[in-house]
Amino acid sequence: MNALELSHLKVLLGNKVVLDDLSFSLAQGQIAALLGPSGCGKTTLLRSIAGLIRPSEGQIRFGKQLVSFSSIHLPAHKRKIGYVPQEGALFPHLTISENIAFGINRNEFTKDQIRQIMKEMLALTGMEGYGDRLPHQLSGGQQTRIALARALAIKPSIVLLDEPFSALDAELRAELRTDVIKLLRSQNTTAILVTHDREESLVSADVIALMRDGKILQSGTPEEVYSSPISPNIATSTGDALILQAVELADGTTNYVLNPNKSLAKSLNTGHIVIRPEEIKIKRFTTDSLISGCIINIDYYGHDAMVSIDIANEHIQVRIPAPFDFAVGEEVALEHVGPLRFFANN
Amino acid sequence: MKIRSKSTFALLALGTISLGLLSGCSSSDQASEVTELTVYSGRSEEFIAPFFAQWEEESGIKLNIRYGDSAELSAQILEEGDNSPADLFLSQDAGSLGAIADAGLFTSLPADVAKEIPAIYTAEDRNWVGITARARVFAYSPDRIKELPQSVNDLTNPKYKNQLGIAPTNASFQAFITALIESKGRDFAKNWLTQVEANGPKIYPKNSAIVEAIDSGEISIGLVNHYYVWEVSKALGRPVKAKIGFFAAGDIGNLINVSGAGVLKSSSKAQAAQDLINYFTSSATQQKFVSDTHEYSLFAGAAAPADLPKLTAIGAPSIDLKTLSKVKATQELLIEVGLL
Amino acid sequence: MSTTIADRPLSPALKQPSPRSGWKFALNVAVGVVAALSLIPFIYLLVRAGDKPLSEITDLLLRKKTLEVLGTTAALISCVVALTVSFGVAIASGLHFIALPFRRLLLIPTVLPLAIPSYVFTYTWIAFIPNFSGFAAAVFILALSTLPYIILATLSGLRRVDNAQIEVARSLGLNYRKTFQRVIWPQIRGHVSAGALLVGLYTMSDFGAVSLLNVETLTVSIQNMYRASYDRSAAAVISLLLITFSALFVISDEAIKKRSSQGEIIKAQSSRISLIRRTYLRVSVILTIAIFTVVAILIPFTVLLTRFFTNPVALDWFDLARVTFATISVAAIGALIALILSAPLGLLQSGKITAFGSATNKIVVIAHALPGVVVGLALVSIGSKLGFLYQSVFLLAFAYALLFLAKSVTSMTSSLARVPSGVKDVASTLGLNQLSVIRKVVIPIAAPGITTGTILVFLSAMKELPATLMLRPTGFETLATQIWSSGSINRFNEAAPYALILVLVAALPTFFISRPDQDDRAYIDSSSGGEK
Repeated sequence: MNALELSHLKVLLGNKVVLDDLSFSLAQGQIAALLGPSGCGKTTLLRSIAGLIRPSEGQIRFGKQLVSFSSIHLPAHKRKIGYVPQEGALFPHLTISENIAFGINRNEFTKDQIRQIMKEMLALTGMEGYGDRLPHQLSGGQQTRIALARALAIKPSIVLLDEPFSALDAELRAELRTDVIKLLRSQNTTAILVTHDREESLVSADVIALMRDGKILQSGTPEEVYSSPISPNIATSTGDALILQAVELADGTTNYVLNPNKSLAKSLNTGHIVIRPEEIKIKRFTTDSLISGCIINIDYYGHDAMVSIDIANEHIQVRIPAPFDFAVGEEVALEHVGPLRFFANN
Repeated sequence: MKIRSKSTFALLALGTISLGLLSGCSSSDQASEVTELTVYSGRSEEFIAPFFAQWEEESGIKLNIRYGDSAELSAQILEEGDNSPADLFLSQDAGSLGAIADAGLFTSLPADVAKEIPAIYTAEDRNWVGITARARVFAYSPDRIKELPQSVNDLTNPKYKNQLGIAPTNASFQAFITALIESKGRDFAKNWLTQVEANGPKIYPKNSAIVEAIDSGEISIGLVNHYYVWEVSKALGRPVKAKIGFFAAGDIGNLINVSGAGVLKSSSKAQAAQDLINYFTSSATQQKFVSDTHEYSLFAGAAAPADLPKLTAIGAPSIDLKTLSKVKATQELLIEVGLL
Repeated sequence: MSTTIADRPLSPALKQPSPRSGWKFALNVAVGVVAALSLIPFIYLLVRAGDKPLSEITDLLLRKKTLEVLGTTAALISCVVALTVSFGVAIASGLHFIALPFRRLLLIPTVLPLAIPSYVFTYTWIAFIPNFSGFAAAVFILALSTLPYIILATLSGLRRVDNAQIEVARSLGLNYRKTFQRVIWPQIRGHVSAGALLVGLYTMSDFGAVSLLNVETLTVSIQNMYRASYDRSAAAVISLLLITFSALFVISDEAIKKRSSQGEIIKAQSSRISLIRRTYLRVSVILTIAIFTVVAILIPFTVLLTRFFTNPVALDWFDLARVTFATISVAAIGALIALILSAPLGLLQSGKITAFGSATNKIVVIAHALPGVVVGLALVSIGSKLGFLYQSVFLLAFAYALLFLAKSVTSMTSSLARVPSGVKDVASTLGLNQLSVIRKVVIPIAAPGITTGTILVFLSAMKELPATLMLRPTGFETLATQIWSSGSINRFNEAAPYALILVLVAALPTFFISRPDQDDRAYIDSSSGGEK
């Protein structure tokens, strides 16, 4: 049984359909990344799961419990969901410790137990000693940690994080992200992380759900989603992609710029293929190379480089590992070593 | 914030209710045993309070006195109607008394109450009685006005341009205009007002302000009541640079008006209120008015206040005081002309 | 906790009443009650005006005097608003952007005039300059009285301006003036407009200053007609004219507000401003504030103190204490009632904006222009029918609440709206139901702003005059009525001690409001203010 099950969810805001026949499930302890462009409904989805929005159609289940279905709507304050909104939203009038302990039921725990939980959470998030400070005295990253601590303090069944790292710079972001994921895993928490950062989703998640226009178009493990996107659009959502015009031939081959037309077979379909930049290898040009091109630009990233190659006036982006000894202007041979993902035009 | 504390809130609520009840409670006296009386007084505290205090001592009845402007108080009484908490209305002028009488809110006084007051100074059906008289006069700066005006008509003369002070909101002035309408007709009055208005008069909210203005040189002549020069001198602690003048005998500008009182129909303490009226109209108190507040007593043959001619010697126009209650028409005229 | 429904067959007929709709209904009812109470003076006016035939009403409205008075009022408002906005925005911007010594202290005198009633200002200035009267004098006095509102409003707007934008503008080559014009002003325009609205409404409703200075505005005209008492219908007609004027004012302010962008995300960290250090600017600001302090604080105080010490009549200390206590109590009760009445409106507005909520908000704000004499008479009319409630402290306090409800409502609405919705959502998910969210999260965060609004009502109630004269229990005097009853300027000595105490007592809460908040948590909303 899944920790979270969404079936045919439809959510209207005003007259606008924001979530449209959306279905998704998540097993216990899994971390899902919800990836999609802004305006596709990610935040609305989170808020629907949290119970802050009432769907007009569809079901939401937590495990065995049906929390939302037609006239049944378990209100937000009964759902035991951890919610970390985009802006952190710490209570400005309370100290850090008070923030963390805010959701803990005073009737279920003694004062000492609550204090213990506070200490644990501070330690877990690496914020010992900050208990008596006020939110405005903390940096953005620190506020995010506390917002998470506050959400986890209630031992929720699911944690929802809405772009929690968006306000931070790259270095801090990666560090914080690692800590947060580690923390979530250590507690075996089921979590949904909304992000528009492709790499973040690939690194953090067990499941990636790609969302567009209120629907989940594809979901699966990072490998599945990265290697086998169901459309060129999806492909660009999860990483850099080359989308090249291609023609499928009757003899089963596909013609595209790296495999130009040699056979005389009839063309069956025209469309595009999707190739990942790292799936193309380049080497020194020799006369018996199949395809060659000229390097027109190298973007050096330290651990690898993106090389722009001009082949017959088409520009191909290729990712090569560093160190390398190619230079701009050189003639190189290209070889495609990866799956051909063909998508017909229709 | 303190709102969060439940006990503080309860305390506040309790305090509110008790304060409200305490202050708002109208005295529930038995009909036989009156311990308190509510008076609306259009006469200012400064001058009338000693009189009230004396009566309180003599009668043993506590007075709840609401001081204010005669016109404002009568507006309030008219608005309150049958539910007015006032037992007695003491007014500065006959006009406002008339308005209350016209609205049917006074009770008629028995013949033995205030019997010394001449009939011309009481309401026809004895709804109210006069207590003191106030003469309309003009105050002037002796330095700048050498030739005194003989009639109110003279005031439209260009030589008084920007030099005349009037107080159109003042009840006494309105009484004068009412008398003007009564004796000379509405058209005449409208004409006179228009001409005066065109002469650039300075408008003041009170009579005392007019006298002060003459004293300071802002204007050189103004229409006031007879006791204001005395009053302002007393307040300033020195004699003011102004004198009182009367128009020629019989001129409408010499109007005699009265301050008076009436008992409200809504009152359940008519007897006590009548006692108070009797006090005001007793010979001792009447003399006190002359000596302490510089007003005219209404007793026939009574002495005049210092430095002023006797009431009968003023040369007042013969006006039926009843007609002074037609203030509504006066005010409409003043509004029409643009002075109100 | 919750039952697992999954095992049972799902019944579409299972109706669960939404817990929110019960709440919403009660809230709407409460708002309706408050709106009805606010309408009492309107209804009174309509009834009274209806006593006159239509032809007379038209004549009255179109006669020369009415148009003159309307013109005077409009001119007065324009001048006062223009003056306060230019000086107020300049001073506030100076305080915000320019490096000044004792910045925080400098704010205090600019806000202190809130403690001084306009008639006290007038009295002291008349004592200072004999023959001080007329239109210019009225503009001067009213501008002094109302400048604090513009200053507070502008400061609250400036605090929200993103300083990064200013730095970018400067780097793009704009000098200070252009930066202000093109970057800062569009953002603070809405706040300044809200302040200007209250300045305008206050000017319209002021009675004390203009009557002492012999300037006939609509309010003075109404008061005169009431004192002339027998044509209360005429006065009612002019009052309705006043309301219409006020409504136009409110509507135009709304239009200005709409044009300025209002949505802000509250940043966790406020970026630090680099303060301007130009000497000539620093000197100008300090000089302006100094002149203002002399004119608005020092001169009035000196006059009051002089009169106090040269008073020939011995001061009745007991009476002074008694009257002071009475004033403070009834004003405090009034402020509390205003708070209670404005709570439903504020709560309603902090959720989704409904047509009903906006309409009631407008009614309350338009009613703010009503002079005390109108509200007073309306309550006399109704109150006299209510037996023991009439001329009670409670009714007087209620009158104050009605008169100044707009201040309480605007500060409450904006304080509540400023609570970030993310915080409310999180509180929900952490287990608090709607009521608890309001109690434990919304109210604590909004408390400072709400307190400010309540204090402003308290201050205004302490200074109120015409309604107090009518509705006070017989024998119950407030500081304001004592000051007023001294009559002419020459008896002002007797009034001086009362005026002094009034100003001193009012100065304490004023000081509290003017303190700039250190941690910037409490957003002092200044779009609430005005005295009568």
